[in-house]
Amino acid sequence: RNEGRVLAVPAARQAARELGLDLAAVRGSGPNGRIRVADVLAAAQGAEGG
Amino acid sequence: MTNNFDYDVLVIGAGPGGYHAAIRAAQLGLKTACVERGAVGGVCLNIGCIPTKALLHAAEMVHASHRAAEFGLTFADTNLNIAKLNGWKDGIVKKLTGGVSGLFKANKVTLLTGQASFVDDHTVSVDGKNYTAAHFIIATGSDPAKLPGLDVDQDSIVDSTGALVMPDPVPARMLCVGGGVIGFEFAQVYNNLGSKVKIIEFLPSVIPGADADAVKEFAKVMSKQGIEIVTQMKANRAEKKADGVHVELENVKTGEKTTEVFDRVLVAVGRRPRTDGLNAEKAGVTVTERGFIPADKQQRTNVPHIFSIGDVASNPMLAHKAMKEGLVAAEVIAGKPAEQDAVAIPGVVYTSPELAWVGLTEQEAKDKGYEVKTGVFPMSASGRAMTLQSTDGFVKMVVEKDTDLLLGVHIVAPHASDMLAEAGLALEMAATATDISLTIHAHPTLGESMLEAAEAAHKQAIHIVNR
Ligand SMILES: Cc1cc2nc3c(=O)[nH]c(=O)nc-3n(C[C@H](O)[C@H](O)[C@H](O)COP(=O)(O)OP(=O)(O)OC[C@H]3O[C@@H](n4cnc5c(N)ncnc54)[C@H](O)[C@@H]3O)c2cc1C
Repeated sequence: RNEGRVLAVPAARQAARELGLDLAAVRGSGPNGRIRVADVLAAAQGAEGG
Repeated sequence: MTNNFDYDVLVIGAGPGGYHAAIRAAQLGLKTACVERGAVGGVCLNIGCIPTKALLHAAEMVHASHRAAEFGLTFADTNLNIAKLNGWKDGIVKKLTGGVSGLFKANKVTLLTGQASFVDDHTVSVDGKNYTAAHFIIATGSDPAKLPGLDVDQDSIVDSTGALVMPDPVPARMLCVGGGVIGFEFAQVYNNLGSKVKIIEFLPSVIPGADADAVKEFAKVMSKQGIEIVTQMKANRAEKKADGVHVELENVKTGEKTTEVFDRVLVAVGRRPRTDGLNAEKAGVTVTERGFIPADKQQRTNVPHIFSIGDVASNPMLAHKAMKEGLVAAEVIAGKPAEQDAVAIPGVVYTSPELAWVGLTEQEAKDKGYEVKTGVFPMSASGRAMTLQSTDGFVKMVVEKDTDLLLGVHIVAPHASDMLAEAGLALEMAATATDISLTIHAHPTLGESMLEAAEAAHKQAIHIVNR
């Protein structure tokens, strides 16, 4: 539908960079799949847990 | 950080990009120097954003003094002291540039005065003295583009720098070559102070890049104020004679040529990146044919320890873009995972009313494959706008049809630049039009036009009939 933009708030984008996570691989819990900081942290824990 | 260099970071240029980079680098504990060959603050503070906004405010006050008769306030005589106006404007510039120098001192940024040119990829010479650094940030900015046939003398044929010095008397006939942001801002200053102003633009539309509906409305309002706007017209040559500057104009479509006489001609046809005397090639840094020093999202050039920011790096040439890029470069050098990841960079024409936008235009959204809906709220329906005697213009929202995602906001209204802050945050937060319409906006304010435009996108605005 669109340009393939990943919807994420600025703080979540920064958190993903700090954790070395690809935002496109994070599941957003907000409206339209918007990614929040909590989603990034959850994804990071999941990645660590294997 | 590194001990065998004079500095951890050496910034070249103290404009908005350069001073942001230098201060942030110092805040992060890096030993930082900033080289400036002219005045600190760069174009924006000295001969750009700040002095133009000062002139626009003064010119708007003159205009407002005439309009005040509508509610019964009349002045025996409106008398503008041009020398005082120029002095007041220069005073603001001095205060702000002094502020930047003070911030450098407080943050322990060393200011090196002179022309910087690369000797090799870890050394620059500043007026003959060599300094080494682990990292460099190139922030050398831009200069006005020239137009062959129109030789700028900063008197009767001026660029933006010359146009900032208001002559006494104010020129009777003024030509602005170039219908971009700078052309329109000066056009309104001179128009409000009494010049008869004509703007010519080579392209079919003025303010290229802005939303077509917003530009149409904006041009209509400017014309109503007395500014003559002619598109698809170019200036071939200008000749100074006793009775004024004779300018040969050519209709781009028909090839028809006419000569018109003006008292002052402004050449505002864009800006070119500035790399003169920098010797970037000695550091192995790529300079494009058009003079840009391109950078990636971390603001790195092709040479990994050399960064490029602001006007010299890329379009759009805007101060707030330069500032953000300066912070990114400094943070990356300090080892932080920073990135220029902004969803949108706002643009503003600071006339009264202002034209301001952020995000995608309706056409851009369609070109990118979005199915869009729009919501428009006219300022003529805003109570606050009526109390401010400024009911021209509108807020237009571009929204994705199915998801309600906000894609862009385009405003013609007083203080549109301030309204844009909400729009910018909404875009960064991936807000929907519903998020905006559910936010209580203070009444009566211009800002609540954002709420009503969002409601209009859902066909349920209250203060207009929804169609
Ligand atoms: C009339 C006008 C109005 C404007 N209004 C606005 C506005 O309202 N809002 C907005 O966002 N933008 C506005 N701009 C654009 C804005 O001024 C620029 O985008 C901004 O200044 C770019 O910042 P910068 O740091 O990249 O470069 P600059 O501000 O150009 O600063 C570069 C500095 O580097 C120095 N320098 C260059 N080469 C060397 C060297 N080799 N050695 C040492 N020093 C060097 C220069 O002397 C200069 O001080 C306006 C521009 C003009 C001309």
